[in-house]
Parts: sequence; C-alpha cells; structure tokens
Amino acid sequence: MTSTPETEAQKPKHRPIIRIGIFIIAHSFIVSVVCCTAGVLALLLLPVLAKKTYVSENALMPGSAIPMISEQDVSGANKFINELTSLKLKSQRTGIEIPRLIALHMANLGGEVSYHKFQNQPNKFHPLHFFTSTELEANHVNQTCESYATNTVGIIRAPRGDGKEAIVLVTPYNPVNFSQNEALSLGIAYSVFSLLNQVTWLAKDIIWLAADSRYGQYNSVAAWLKDYHTPSFGGFGKLHGVGCHNGNDVPESNLDMIIETEVSDTLRRAGTMAAALVIKVAKTGEAGDQDALNIYAEASNGQMPNLDLINVVSYLAVHGQGLRVQVDKLVSFLDSKWLKFIGGVLETVGNIARTLNPQWKFGIPVKEYVEGSATLVSSLYNQALGVPTGSHGAFRDYQVDAITIEISPKLFSTSKGRQTELLFRGGRLVEGVIRSVNNLLEKFHQSFFLYLLTSSNKFVSVGVYMIAFLLLVAPLPVLAASLFSDANKSNLESEKNKPFKSWRWLYPTKTVFLVHLWGAIVSLLPYFIYQIPDSQPTSRLLIWASLSLFILIVLGSFFRVRSTQWALLKSVTVSAAFIGLCLMSVINFATAEIGALLLVPMCLMIKPWRVAGKFQSALNLVLVIIGFPGATFFVVKSAFGFQNESSLVEFWYWVESLWAWNSATYIYICMVHLPCWVLCIYILLHQC
Amino acid sequence: MEESVEKTTRKKHPWFWSSALASIILRLVLIIYFPNTLNFSSRPEVSTPVTSLRRLAEGYWLKRSSMSPYAGSMYHGSPLLLSILGPLTIDRDEGQSHLLCGLAFVIADFVTAILIRAIGQRLQGADIQSLKSLGAGRHLKISENFPTGDIASLVYLWNPLTIITCLGYSTSPIENLMIVLSLYGACKRLVPLAAFGWVMASHLSLYPVILIIPLVLLIGSGLDTPPRKLFLQEKHGDGYKKTKTGSLHLINFSWRRVVLFFLWSSAWALYVLVLCGISLKDYSGLGEMFKRTYGFILSVEDLSPNIGVLYFFAEVFDFFRDFFLIVFHINILFMVLPLAIRLHHRPCFLAFVYIAISSILKSYPSVGDSALYLGLLGLFVNALADMQFSFFLFSGYLGTLLLSPVMHNLWIWRGTGNANFYFATAMAYACFQIILVVESVSSMLNHDRALKQGTTDVAKKVCQSLKDEPGLPTPRKFSLPK
Repeated sequence: MTSTPETEAQKPKHRPIIRIGIFIIAHSFIVSVVCCTAGVLALLLLPVLAKKTYVSENALMPGSAIPMISEQDVSGANKFINELTSLKLKSQRTGIEIPRLIALHMANLGGEVSYHKFQNQPNKFHPLHFFTSTELEANHVNQTCESYATNTVGIIRAPRGDGKEAIVLVTPYNPVNFSQNEALSLGIAYSVFSLLNQVTWLAKDIIWLAADSRYGQYNSVAAWLKDYHTPSFGGFGKLHGVGCHNGNDVPESNLDMIIETEVSDTLRRAGTMAAALVIKVAKTGEAGDQDALNIYAEASNGQMPNLDLINVVSYLAVHGQGLRVQVDKLVSFLDSKWLKFIGGVLETVGNIARTLNPQWKFGIPVKEYVEGSATLVSSLYNQALGVPTGSHGAFRDYQVDAITIEISPKLFSTSKGRQTELLFRGGRLVEGVIRSVNNLLEKFHQSFFLYLLTSSNKFVSVGVYMIAFLLLVAPLPVLAASLFSDANKSNLESEKNKPFKSWRWLYPTKTVFLVHLWGAIVSLLPYFIYQIPDSQPTSRLLIWASLSLFILIVLGSFFRVRSTQWALLKSVTVSAAFIGLCLMSVINFATAEIGALLLVPMCLMIKPWRVAGKFQSALNLVLVIIGFPGATFFVVKSAFGFQNESSLVEFWYWVESLWAWNSATYIYICMVHLPCWVLCIYILLHQC
Repeated sequence: MEESVEKTTRKKHPWFWSSALASIILRLVLIIYFPNTLNFSSRPEVSTPVTSLRRLAEGYWLKRSSMSPYAGSMYHGSPLLLSILGPLTIDRDEGQSHLLCGLAFVIADFVTAILIRAIGQRLQGADIQSLKSLGAGRHLKISENFPTGDIASLVYLWNPLTIITCLGYSTSPIENLMIVLSLYGACKRLVPLAAFGWVMASHLSLYPVILIIPLVLLIGSGLDTPPRKLFLQEKHGDGYKKTKTGSLHLINFSWRRVVLFFLWSSAWALYVLVLCGISLKDYSGLGEMFKRTYGFILSVEDLSPNIGVLYFFAEVFDFFRDFFLIVFHINILFMVLPLAIRLHHRPCFLAFVYIAISSILKSYPSVGDSALYLGLLGLFVNALADMQFSFFLFSGYLGTLLLSPVMHNLWIWRGTGNANFYFATAMAYACFQIILVVESVSSMLNHDRALKQGTTDVAKKVCQSLKDEPGLPTPRKFSLPK
C-alpha cells in the first residue's frame, strides 16, 4: 500500500486512447444499458430509416422500350396451355408426355432443345460440408430408372451476342400432379420465348428451363445448375441417362417421331448467367382489386440477389403492368397492439420534429410503420433461417442473381379472356425485365447485396442495420474488459504471492474452450444418429439430447474443469460470445441480430445466484430458460403463431431442415449459442 | 547444471512426452484419414506462392520433363527443396497424393519442437545461473516453477496454426525447422550447425538473413542474461560475493567464434550455391534462380490474396510501386539496428522479435510464420509473466483468424464482398501482431528494470512488482535507483 500515491501520480501519464478506454470500462454498467437500449431502439427504428429503392445501374433503363409481345405470341401460348391441359386429361402418363410436348413446342419456336435427366438427391447431412469442398459427395447407389426426372431446356442463341452470357427463365411444374397455374406459368414463358426467337436486339442467350419439380422445385434447378457448371467429358447424358432412356420409352408416339432428331440428351450450354427469373402463378387468387406480384428473393444463408434486379421487376410491374408488388410479410404482426403503439409514438415524434423544422422529414404513418415492420420481421426470419424461399436460391450458390416472381391474379378464373390478359401482363413484364438485363454490360454489381426489405420499394442497407447490431453487441467487450480488470484487482489483494497474474485467464479459457468443443461435437452428432436405422424423430431427438448431456459430463469430469473465479469465466464467455456474434454477422446478419437479441441480455445479466439478489436471479433464470434454442423455438412459435401444433417432432424437423439446407444458422446455434448458454448456466450455479 | 534441470523437468512433467506424442498422433490421423476433406492447402492463409507444395509439385513435374522448374512463374522456391521433396509429391495412389510429404512435415514439426525445448532448457539454465549470481532469490523460485522449454515446445506443437500449416502442405515447417536449428546451434555454440541453419533458412525464405545479428551475439557472448551493467554494478556493489570468472565470462565477446561462424557460413553458402548450380545445370543458371526466388520475394510480383500487409500493392498506382516497395522493405531493416542495441543482452529474445517483425512485413506471410514466433514466445514465459493485454491479444488473434476465411468466402465465393473486406482482416491481424511485439518488448524491458531494482533492493522489488496492478493497461514505470 506504500506505493499507492505513486501509482496515482502515474495515472495522468496514460495515452489518451487508453484513458478513454479506462473511462468506458469504469462505467461499464451505464454503457451497457445505454448501448443495449439504443440497439433495440435502432432496430425498432429501421422501418422509419428505410430508404426508397432506386435503380442504381444506369445501363438497365427499365421500361424505356415499348413491349413487343404480340397477339400471335399470346395465342400460341394459349394453344400451348390448352394442349397441356388436354394432355393431362387424356393421358395417365403425363409424367413422360409433358416434357416431350414442351420440347416439341420449344423446337417449333426455333430453340435448341435438350433434356436434362437427374436423380433425386436425398438431403443428407454432411458434417464437414460447411468447411470443405462440395465435390466429395458420395456416389449414389444405382437407383431405378423410375427415379429419374427430366428437365426440358430450350436455348435461344442471341443474334447479337457472342454466346458468353445468358439469361435464364425457370418455370417449375410438377408432371405427376399437373395443375392449371403451372400451365399458365409455362404459357407465360412460352409467349416470351416465342417473341424472343424473332427479335433482333438480343445480346444474351436465353435459356428456358422447364424444371421437373416432382422432387421439389429447388432440387431440379440445383441439379441442372450443378451439371451446367460441371465440366463434362464425353457427354453428360450418357453418364446418367443412357441406361434408362429405352426403359422409359413408351410405344412410339407421333410426338417422338417429330422431335427425336432435334432433341439431344447431352446437356447444352449457353454462356455464364447474368440473371435468372423464376416465373410462377399463384394457386389462389388475390383478394384485392388488382393483380398482385409476389417477389421472393432470399437464398441460402440469408444471401440476397442484387437489389437492382428487384428494383427493375417492381418498377416494371408497378409502372408498366399496374400490378401490386408485395413482399412476404408476417401477417400476425399486422394487428399487434404494441407495434401500433410504437408506430403512433414515432409518428407523433415525427410530427413534432416537422413543426420545429419543416426540413426534417422524419416519421411515417402508423399503418406504413406496422406493415414495414411486419415485412422486416419476415425478411429477417427468412434470412436468419438460411433456407432459400424458392428455387431461385439455387442460383445464388453460383453467384447468379435470381428471384422468384409469383403472379397472383385477383380472381382466378379459367375464362379465355382473363387468361389472355394474364398472359399479356406476365409476358410483357418478363420481356421488359429481360430487355433490361440484356442491356447489362457487366454482372449486377452497382446496387446492394446486403439489405433488408421493408416493403417492395423500401430497403434498409447494410450501413444502417449494422448500427443496430453493433450497438447491441458493443457492451460485450466493455463488460469483458471491466470484469477482467476487476478480477485482476481483487486477485491482487487475495493472492499476493502468485506471479503470472496477467495470465490467469488461461484457466477459464480452458473451460470455455472445452464447452465450445462440446458444441462442435454436438453439431456433428446427428450424422451418427442417422446411422441408427428406423428411428422416430422423437427418439432421435432424445438420443441427441442425452448423448450431448453425457458427453458434456464426460468432458467436464475428464478434464477436471477447475472452478475458477466466476468473474474471469464470465469475462471469457462474453468475449467468446462477442467473437461468435461478430463472425456470424458477417456470414448471416439476420441470425446474428436475432442471436444477439437473445444472447446479449443473458450474457450481460448473468451472475452466480449466491452473489446476485433475488430479483436478478429470477430474471437470470427467465433469460436462461428463454435462451435455450429449443425453448426459444417454442416461445416464438406460440407467440407469433407460425404453426399451431407444438411438439418435439416439429422441433426435430426444423433442425433437420436447417442442416439439410446447409444453413450456417445450425452451426451458429451449436457452436456459439449453445456453449454460451451452457456457460451461463455454469456461472449461474457457480459456488463462489 | 543443464542435465540436472533437464532431469527435474522430466520428472516433474512426464506429461510433456505424452502430450507431444498426442499432437503428433493428431496430425497423423488428420493426414491419413482426412487427406482431401480438410482442404487447407488451398487456403491463402496457409500456403503462399513461395511455400505452396502444389507449386513445388508443378516445378518438379516441369523439371522432370526437362524444363526449367521456374518456367511459367509457378515455382518460386529453392531447387534443393525440389530435389528433396519433389520425389515425394508424385502421385502413387489415388487420393493419397501428398501422404509422404505430410509425414515429412510432421517429422519437421516434431524436430522443431524438440529443438525449441532444448533451447528453452539452456535458456532457463542460463537464467537461473545469472539470477543466482545476482542474488535475486525470489525470482529464482519463480523461474523454477515453469519449465519454459516444455511450455514453448508444447505451444508450438499444439498451436492450431502449426497444425493447420502442417496439414496444409506448405513448406513453412521446413523453413521454421531451419530457423530453429540455427538458433539451437548458436545457443549450444555449435558454430557449424548455426551457420548451416542460418544459410539454409536464408536460402529458403530470404528474411532470416536479419537473424545474423542475434546469432552473432549468441555465439559471441552467450545466452540471454540480464543487462551487463548489473553485473558490473554487482562487482562494486554491496558486498555480494561471487565467482569472478562467471562475471568475466559473461562480458567477454568471443571474436574467434564469430569469425569462425562467418567462415563456416560462407563455406555452407558456397556449398548450397554449388548444389543449386548442379541441380539447375541443364535448365537455367543460378541467375534465374536468384531472379525467380529472391527477386520474386522482393518485388512482390504475385498479388493473390494473403494475410500480409503487402497486399496493399494490389491497390497502389503503378508509378508509386517502386517507392512503396522500398518503403516496406526498409521498414524491416529500420528496426533491426535500434532493437539490436536495446536488446543486445538478450539475443534469443532479439531473434524472436526479428522473426515476428519479418513475419508481419514479409511479402508472402502465412500462419506458419506466426506459429513459429508464437512458439518462441513461450521461451520467455517467465520474463513475460506480467505481459499486459495477453487476453486481448488472444481474442484478437482468434477473431481475426476466424474472420479471415469468412471474408475470403464472402469475397471469392459469394461475390457479395470485395477485396477490401479481406484486406481489412489482414490489417487487423497485422495490428494485433504489432501489439504483441510492442507489448512483449516493453514487458521484457520492464523485467530487466525490475531485475535492476531487485539487485539494488530485493525486498523493495518484490513489494513493488506485487503492488503493481496488471489490470491497468499501461507499461509500468519504475523509478530508477539512484
């Protein structure tokens, strides 16, 4: 104690940056509270801060040309639809006939046609899939020829192009259960295809992929894309389909005779893809007085296509075709009271601001705010899940920008006039989009890739939504530093004789490392659980849980986790959570944001129950219970009513879907969230 | 003396061998069972244009088909490596292509670790001796608690960066081995061995050339000691008795050995050049070798992404290129002399600082370089006991090293990021490395100051050092004894 005056005298000598650091660390509690509140507030403000979208790439020039689609194209499409539906009524074997019919029509229009046969690839869990190359997929055992599905691919070679770039149109249909709306979407593509065969301005090849979606819309497109991008030596078709072609052959029909010469089984390619459009027609009609257009854009792991593509589509749909463009939104949010309340508060604040200074254009109407937040939440949820919302997701894995446009007519009727009108509208829209993309000189790069949509024409860019996240996680390092220095100070008094006091963090780090290692093992366990034959989802889930618990206990006892100071342990835990969250925010922002909302309060509040007061302990208990991934799942589901039934089976299927889609969210939950949760419980029960 | 230290440490820590063996087994398991799934060799963090084994295989193939191995700017390493490792790279079986090379790297890692351990034991012996002669009894006890050699070699063996480098089929384990070999030779005062290690290390990766200063100091004046002034002070000091020979021996600088070292190194260098000349005789001369290896390193021709700051040249205007090339390379040389003057009494630590600085500023850095200096850091664990920011640095290293592949993925595979994302992590990584160097040097200097104080007043020193608060992130200032 003799040297205290000396150390105090030294304090002013610190460098300014360190003085600021010490100041912040000394007031860590206030900083935490302020930052967390600001983070949540900023998240709530996002719908207000959203900007209007604008077409950033000048070369796109949407809507500058007059649509050229003619009566002739549409009547051809009508005929095509009629043939398809009659084929469905007539023949039982539509599964084989429809691709042929499509191929015939494609060939008649003047396109190069080829079939692409693929097998259903069962979704398997590859434990190392996230870290390693994807080429090492196991060869599948020979499946029967029945399991082949056939995509039909038509290609128009651009008269003005060099064959290096292409635009893709995808129309998924299910040949086994063919429906009218699928026929309509095929018809729209047909009318566009028929037009594009005649035009002279085409600079990029057009690929029309009629995707056989009997094994899922995503799988068919993904299989085609994989083969398209894999260099083939000596004909791909021979590799897969040759044995089965004869087996598939029904007694030769007229159709076969005509197209046999023109259709090849080898995969035909055009250039690299500039963009892709998945065209769909909704099954159910829209209730409004306008035809509507739904846009789906989320690909795997929260990746989005370039915003310009969405801009072009929505611009053309609204201004060209008078469609009402909408993005997926969470309906249960629309009439939530507290959102309306917040919206009201924000509106009044905006009004007050405007009375003070008319220049401040702040605040939006309540209804707009509520709708914006419902869309934002849905956008966040879809991105966080990491599961693509449609077959456009397959394109994003190859860096191709793609969206699904789903046209939902106001009243679905099969009347001829209505159908023609729909074909005209859809055809013109798709033509306009293709014409815009056709103008592109480079791939989409001008506009944003990282954004959240709050409506079809409003977005929040990465620079804005990152602020909310950073404010939310900023208290973590501050808290870690303050706990760390406190622990060292208290050490100083209790254990005077021990050296290496600045390395004391090594013991809690070992504990934290072990728990994270356990998390990694837990994430790999399903691979082994799948080896157990004939097990029910519930039993699998229980095996998973019990094995995890067992391994945790074994690891804990084997390495004799030394009980250390809880403050140091908490400091290391918090740092680990911070690193994990920051990493995840780069991989998939939405997951990190939702994870931070759950994890940050838990990490900040947690304290051993012996040290904390009763109220804080109770709060901690609630936070810990909510923080468990399974519990969160049920709470969120029951609160927002995603689905009605709640059972363990559903949770298993949810997790299964995560790893089947190689979602990074799964890795996040197992390797960041779960270990932090376990460590928080360890701290809560700490005997100090 | 050393023998006894060795024995005690072995008795105390039988876990060293089991732990070292476990790390070797881990490597073998990963190499044999996951030859292709863990695709570390394609990571820019692991294999650089200079160290990549894939390029070496290509060079070997060119050589076998009677072309210059340097044709086509693929291979940029030494022709000797080509002759030694080349035959091991030939595909024997499908899927087991580089198994033999992997084994070679595992052996290199293991030998490096053993050498580090030997260096550590010698260092500790010298440390204890000099502390004894200074009479700092308290410190002696402390030093005995931690066998620095074991710690350093285990840190090297279990460092994930070392393991990744070993699995990533890059030639850095061999380079590291040569550097450590030269240090070991210098510590043992085996002049030929030191000269061989130094020549080979400089031949393989050029940057170890600057290690000449610590090596000469090691050979000339022996292992790390507290500042020499203390011993002089001691002699006239407050009646401490000790053998005169010991203190005189420490002050002597043996020029004979140094001259011998230079003779040996020139002999080795000549030998290496002759060997290179023979192996390149039919294809191209030594001139091309110099141009394609050292020239390639110095002029930073390959700007494929890496974790170094010299990726900066991808973004620099062409007419500034020469200027910045000179700036970056002078940067390393700038720090050589001041550090040598300040730390001349601790040549091993000086070597560590040089290795760390050159791995920050070298043109094609990889995590293998970091693995080496992190391992060497373990040698000074007793002196750096009060190092600040250690946890901060640990988290920083972890964070940036995890972030780097993510940013790479974002840039190359997803296309949503760009080169600046990756470059930002490289800069952050360099920052953490610099903080590490600065903090370790300043805490080493503090340690020396504390020793100085300790010798003047042992009791006061102990009191002082324990009163000090490590939580406050500032270097300690000791009032100098009058």
